[in-house]
Amino acid sequence: MKWLTLLLALLFPATILAESVPSFRQDVMPILFRAGCNAGTCHGAAKGKDGFMLSLFGYDPAGDYHRIVNDIAGRRINTAMPERSLLLLKSLGKVPHTGGEIFSIDSPYYRTLHDWIAAGAPDDRENVPDTTGIELSEERLVFEGGTQHAQLRVFAHQSDGSRRDVTHLALYHSNNPAVATIDENGRVGAADAAGDTHVFARYSRFAIGASVTVLKADRFVWPDPVANNYIDRHLFERLQKLRIAPSEPCDDETFLRRVTLDLAARPPTPEEYRAFMADTSKDKRAAKIDVLLADDAFADLWTSLWAEQLRVMGGNYAPVGTHIKAADTFYEWIRRQMREGRPLDQFVADMVTASGSNLANGPVNLYTMLVHKPRIEPKPLAADFSQVFLGVQLQCAECHNHPFDRWNMDDYYGFVSFFTGLSRKPGAEPREQRIYWDTTRPPARHLVDDRAMEPKVLGAVEPVEHDGDPRAALARWLTSPENELFSRNLANRIWAQLMGRGIIHPVDDVRVTNPPVNEPLLADLAAHLVDSGFNLRSLVRDICNSRAYQLSSTPNDTNRRDTRQFSRAYLRRLRADVFVDSVVSVTGMPRGLGGFPEGTRAIDYYPRSSGGTEGPNFGDDVFKCFGRSARGSVSSTETKSAPTVSQALHLSVGDTIQPRLQCNGALAEYVKAKTPPATAIEELFIRCLARKPTGEELAGFLKLIPESPANTQPYEDLVWALLNSTEFMFNH
Amino acid sequence: MLRPLRILLTALISTGVTAVAEESVNYEEHIKPIFREHCLKCHGDDEQKADLNLQTHAGALKGGSGGAVVVAGRASQSLLFQSITDPDDDARMPPKKPMIPQAQIALIQKWIDSGLRETSASASMVAERDLSFKPVANAGAKPTEPIMPGALPELKLPPMKRPLPVLSLDASPWAPLAAVAGLDHVRLVNLESREDAGLLPFPEGEPHWLRFSRDGAVLMAAGGRPVELGKVVLFDVKSGKRLTSVGDEVDAVLAADLSADQTSVALGGTGKLVKVYDTATGKLRYKIEKHTDWIMAVAFSPDGRTLATADRAGGLHLWEAASGRPLLSLNEHKASVRALDWRADSKLLASVGEDGLIIWWDVKDGWPAITKADAHPPVRPPGSHGKIANGVLAARFDHEGRLCTAGRDQKIRLWDAGGKEIQSFDITGGQPLSVALSHDGKTVIGGDTAGQVHFWEVNATPKN
Repeated sequence: MKWLTLLLALLFPATILAESVPSFRQDVMPILFRAGCNAGTCHGAAKGKDGFMLSLFGYDPAGDYHRIVNDIAGRRINTAMPERSLLLLKSLGKVPHTGGEIFSIDSPYYRTLHDWIAAGAPDDRENVPDTTGIELSEERLVFEGGTQHAQLRVFAHQSDGSRRDVTHLALYHSNNPAVATIDENGRVGAADAAGDTHVFARYSRFAIGASVTVLKADRFVWPDPVANNYIDRHLFERLQKLRIAPSEPCDDETFLRRVTLDLAARPPTPEEYRAFMADTSKDKRAAKIDVLLADDAFADLWTSLWAEQLRVMGGNYAPVGTHIKAADTFYEWIRRQMREGRPLDQFVADMVTASGSNLANGPVNLYTMLVHKPRIEPKPLAADFSQVFLGVQLQCAECHNHPFDRWNMDDYYGFVSFFTGLSRKPGAEPREQRIYWDTTRPPARHLVDDRAMEPKVLGAVEPVEHDGDPRAALARWLTSPENELFSRNLANRIWAQLMGRGIIHPVDDVRVTNPPVNEPLLADLAAHLVDSGFNLRSLVRDICNSRAYQLSSTPNDTNRRDTRQFSRAYLRRLRADVFVDSVVSVTGMPRGLGGFPEGTRAIDYYPRSSGGTEGPNFGDDVFKCFGRSARGSVSSTETKSAPTVSQALHLSVGDTIQPRLQCNGALAEYVKAKTPPATAIEELFIRCLARKPTGEELAGFLKLIPESPANTQPYEDLVWALLNSTEFMFNH
Repeated sequence: MLRPLRILLTALISTGVTAVAEESVNYEEHIKPIFREHCLKCHGDDEQKADLNLQTHAGALKGGSGGAVVVAGRASQSLLFQSITDPDDDARMPPKKPMIPQAQIALIQKWIDSGLRETSASASMVAERDLSFKPVANAGAKPTEPIMPGALPELKLPPMKRPLPVLSLDASPWAPLAAVAGLDHVRLVNLESREDAGLLPFPEGEPHWLRFSRDGAVLMAAGGRPVELGKVVLFDVKSGKRLTSVGDEVDAVLAADLSADQTSVALGGTGKLVKVYDTATGKLRYKIEKHTDWIMAVAFSPDGRTLATADRAGGLHLWEAASGRPLLSLNEHKASVRALDWRADSKLLASVGEDGLIIWWDVKDGWPAITKADAHPPVRPPGSHGKIANGVLAARFDHEGRLCTAGRDQKIRLWDAGGKEIQSFDITGGQPLSVALSHDGKTVIGGDTAGQVHFWEVNATPKN
């Protein structure tokens, strides 16, 4: 124990030890935080623990002071004989304590608490500076070979302009202890695995991180690949630092399939395949990207992605405003914006400021669909709104300051007040609801002190100015080029859609403690998005033209373990709807989707129900099996890409592939025209997998199918086999 | 010439809907229109959801499938009132609508509290209560001689940074003597000289509860050390000797009382149990396990028949003192009850709590005969918002049926037998924690968190 005490004594700035009377807010509260007393599993729980409650992570110092000192006088605090205070006895484990011994009698924490009680446990509501931010002594740590440890120091900036060393009062954690560890005193150590991660310090209501890179000492030669554009420059700079060589670029076959699936939501047709492979021009990949971007299918895919995100669902139950007719109005409005290439900032602003009929004015359905409830509920609406448009999960701050991010309760309740005036009233017919802003509704009230919180954007101090309906001010702030939260969120979501993973991942969990794996890359993508006038196609074009997008998925020795730096193409299972449309495209047989006309593509489908729309709804069962979002929430994790046994069973014996191989013989007609068998087999490979069979594959299949294509049965089996292959299920 | 008109106008204005005098609120004139606006569509002659029909006065009284919806005189315990004021949007009536306007809710509350009158001519349905105070013959077991301590042995006090907050104090019912809680001891104070009359050792720890016996001959001190030990000790006031001690608790005793006949001690604390011990044998007589939170106050009635117990969640119950058999539950407190005291005639029980309430209970049927909400309203610090602590922490009756209370507004207040405030006293430099009235009713004694004891003379003339 002695060395620890010595270490702590060293860490403690002498000024604090010398101070005669510790401050409740500056010295005592941080100890309760650091020691974990006010954590959610202990006294910070909603009802406290064993009869004693503290505010979670200390969001309510005034309340905590009352509970410690004044609630039951003479018990937790004994000012006559401080060492007999229950607070101290419990911390030392001298009396039964569920949390056991928290610190020892010779620890500086004990001394501080003791001295504060000995001074009469004074309150310091009036004259204590507030912490305005924290700072780390290092922003970046690189470990290589010899140096295996580094000491971080944490400084708090205070409202009186002073700076204070709080290394001994902060809490620490590492995002990946397999790469770097951090101990309770802020000492960082390199672990066994090479890689990069972040370590964090938390103090007061702030969290701050430092990036840690651990390198292997072995020889590494950077292959110096050619960068196609700014994306590659950022990516390669990062990879070089991490000593990871990117994979080689993918071949034309792979590129064509990849980009067609990503932009048109279907595999390339044999005709497209032949034309692309025959093209010898140098810029044929860029040309292909432009062709696909100009196609309506691209707009329709993004309509589908937005509709999923905004929880578009329709029901036959009219009174809550989410009737199928309203959903259709919304959906077709989104489609029009996507097809016309509407700048995304304007697209979002239209929804945010919309008022009027849910049947006539599409964008107003943001307020009927985002939270499917009988009433407009400002709190869930504000939380979902920020998750979708900013990627920020605010809801923690409803009951306490966000423990792992910078948002506090003022931010939360100020933001909720952008939605408290939203009301709806019945329209001319039962399915119609009119959304309007009711100026008589009061703003949200702060949980701790019940103060009315005027609408205020995140991070601001002053409320917005407005003329009754603050949503115009919200839209202005939200979509302003200066609002990086917005542009970065859009850029990150677009990147994740094409690359299989966000630079911040998950895309809707943006917080200080979940930093981007490549900050310059994300910043530049966002800047390009803003510069292009929030043009979706422009950013998609940049990404698809990058070498990064066109890398092979085959790993090399240096990037085999990389799962987040985009050093190779990551295998991506097809989205459920793209999978269904791909099967339809390959077999030429449409698949009926309940409630929609014959021939409707899966990407044009949204869930409809005969009743209300509150609960999660997959729609057709195939979407449940393959993990399309059930729209039960706005969370990005609702869309699932994990393989399951039921998917394997569905592929082999389910109603998606099997019936499409036989009925009305579209495939048979196609095969019959291709003779001899080698040609037919090659054709089917191109049709299903957008590549020619290898010599080995061809020889093997020829052995199995010696007959002429006049007998189509074995060819149906071949298609079945190809569609059941993992190669078909994945974009690789 | 203008003046009569002005008076008339003022009178007209002040009889607006919101200002209906309590006695005249009645079903036909005031309540039915509200029901018609918000309720009768589902709970009227056409449809009776939950079998409830509010279309007539009789129907409203009859209630629905879940029983009565109104309790004459107690809006707070009436289902109708609870369901229109429920903060939960999904549970409140009328469903899926904003709350009924406050003015109308206030009218309904007045109508219920004033006795559910049908018309302005109807009589109130709240029974008349006789709350008058008639001293029972020798209820306090007045001794022939007032008992004062003799010369008590010297006591060496532990080293203290500062005095312990006055967690508890009490005044002898018949002698000019007060007992004040201190660290590991109890201090006796002569109320005539206001000087120390001796120290009683309480090495068990902090005395959380002090009570003189009805005859003033015995002093009970209850307390201990937090999460270490708890005990109740009985002292002979005259000699300062320990008569006995009961309880062997694992945490400090937070509440205790000595029965009038001195045969029983009831105690409780963080264990959520009330234990009643026999003082002669030290044996446990019975346990009460009904409370769901820490026991904060217990009190035997002066007639020895009833035991009142209260907890930190607002639970308050009456028990047959001899057997521990349940008698009544007194539901009104929404937060911790902090003190209980019986009036000398055992007819009324006073309870006070962190919800700011002082309630004088008619124990005959467990009726809150007088309720003072916000009895100690604190002054809001400038620039602050929301709820500020308004708790009442201590309460004690005197022989005359007057009650003194200590609250978080840093005041001690004195109330007459009818619940009317007589006088108030300020404490600065600390928070009042404990209070008592001297044996002659002339001095109010208050103790605070700074460890100071204050004395004030009671005015003969009540405050306006």
